[in-house]
Amino acid sequence: MTNVNSNLEFLVEVQKLKEIPRTGLVWLGVPNPPSVADHTFRVAVSSWVLGKKMGLKIEKMIKTALSHDLCEVYGGDKTPFWGLLPDDEKKRKERLKRWIRLPLEEKKKRSEEEFEEEKKIFMKLLELANSELKKEIFSYWVDYKKNLTKEGKIFLQIDKMEGMLEALENLDQKDYDYVTPWWEEAEELITDSFLTLFYKVIQNKFYSPKAKIEEKIFGFGLKKELEKILDFILEIGKLKRMPRLYWVLRGVKNPETVAGHMFTLALMAWVFGREKRNLNQEKLLKMAICHEMSAVYTGDTTPYDRILPKDEDERRKILKKMIRLSKKEKEWIFLADYQTEKKAMEKLTQNLDSTIRKEILELWHEYRTRSSLEAKFLGELNILAVLLQGLIYEKKYKEFISAPLWEWAFESCTDEVCLSLMEEMKKKFYG
Amino acid sequence: MDKKFYITKEGLERLKKEYETLKALRLSKVEGESPKIFHSEDINIEYLAFKEDMELLESRLLELDYILKNYILITKPPKEKQDIVDIGATVTLEDEDGLINEFMLVGSLEANPSEGKISIESPVGRALLGKRVGDEVAITSPISVKYRIKKIKYEIS
Repeated sequence: MTNVNSNLEFLVEVQKLKEIPRTGLVWLGVPNPPSVADHTFRVAVSSWVLGKKMGLKIEKMIKTALSHDLCEVYGGDKTPFWGLLPDDEKKRKERLKRWIRLPLEEKKKRSEEEFEEEKKIFMKLLELANSELKKEIFSYWVDYKKNLTKEGKIFLQIDKMEGMLEALENLDQKDYDYVTPWWEEAEELITDSFLTLFYKVIQNKFYSPKAKIEEKIFGFGLKKELEKILDFILEIGKLKRMPRLYWVLRGVKNPETVAGHMFTLALMAWVFGREKRNLNQEKLLKMAICHEMSAVYTGDTTPYDRILPKDEDERRKILKKMIRLSKKEKEWIFLADYQTEKKAMEKLTQNLDSTIRKEILELWHEYRTRSSLEAKFLGELNILAVLLQGLIYEKKYKEFISAPLWEWAFESCTDEVCLSLMEEMKKKFYG
Repeated sequence: MDKKFYITKEGLERLKKEYETLKALRLSKVEGESPKIFHSEDINIEYLAFKEDMELLESRLLELDYILKNYILITKPPKEKQDIVDIGATVTLEDEDGLINEFMLVGSLEANPSEGKISIESPVGRALLGKRVGDEVAITSPISVKYRIKKIKYEIS
């Protein structure tokens, strides 16, 4: 399985995106800002939900989302302000209150320079992937960077909207002056009437919730529907700040978030799902980005958190081992979790359009009950996504032990692609 | 009524080339061969996605076919109208702090704001259309940004 081998190297490098904070928010002094991976997760969800309303190709939208910031693995999160900001912090913050103003020639020059530089960095990363995957990822990135197709153009607009939402969510209203550049950029960029209305809903929500938007410009029921989509996107945003409990319990500093985990799984679904021609790729991607959405209300859970004793030494001992449960206990835990999570998923999607709601709920149910070929494959990949993260932490922190994760994987994985991936992980991390 | 697409001469050439290339690609896929264009090292990267996905290729061909039947070429307006902002114009603006900003107004097909090319359908594009040198333009959501138009040029053939 040479494809699995080369693509593992690529996947490991991409995990660095979970530790690269969003630069714009760093500059604005936002404490512990979301990472590039967190951002990518939500922009993928937004592309799905909004893209569906706009009749776009969802597989393409999600793949564009997953590709669009990959070059930041080596280049860092570069904002459009590169090279234009003063070093002095006070002056820099002042400059961040307005969008870029430049002569046309300079804009063109910067854009070309940026493209060439990012392309170079991106190719370095893609050298780690096998040639077919490399071509595919690269073409989605080019589509986005060069605004080639309808999906590429709309994705760019949704990506910028996600950046604006991040700023609005993380800043106090008194600091909204710093959001002005996002608005100015949007006004140059948005051409789609549906997204124009969506921006109006954002404006209404954050700036003047009491002011009435003229219903006439929306058409029947659309305003309410867009408000509900925005609420959904904002709720999902909580996952960008929710650390995964498995790592928290084991003392990992600044661990991966639930959003970051879903980003990894979606990417794995793409990278390794390509090896499974009998599976529906779009379904795999969607399932990956919705499989843990219920955590918005349930919080992140692990089988350990309900059995851990208070005594520190005892806790440590238990956490170092794979949890042992009887068949009956496992069934009881599954049913209890399933019911709680189902309620959370129903609450989360309750105001969405019935078609997308049904789709999300069905995909989640399928995954949770492993009731389709896609769900079975993704379930195994999910274990390997956790194992991979564990191996990265094991390398980084001496005291972290990934043995229970190996045990879990050995117990659960049967798929040929997943078994090869496990072998490759063993070779990569233990030589 | 069919939607019309505004496009520059340069943009039209690019789309025609893409259309011909994709048609060649479709033919070669049907015949089970890799087309010559993909043997070249400097292959246009934007076509790669279509190489992978036949459905994507078909829908892009349909899209291009529709555009090529419904385009309007952007041309220079007559001399007496060149002091008014219209599609194809390069507009120089000055903000309240004296900073210069420039845009070229194009159709949505060719818009790329990072290169300064903005669509006439964008809020800024709409605000600029029909204005003359000296006019003030306010872009207002949610915080008002004011510009004065300094120069209007038409640098298209």
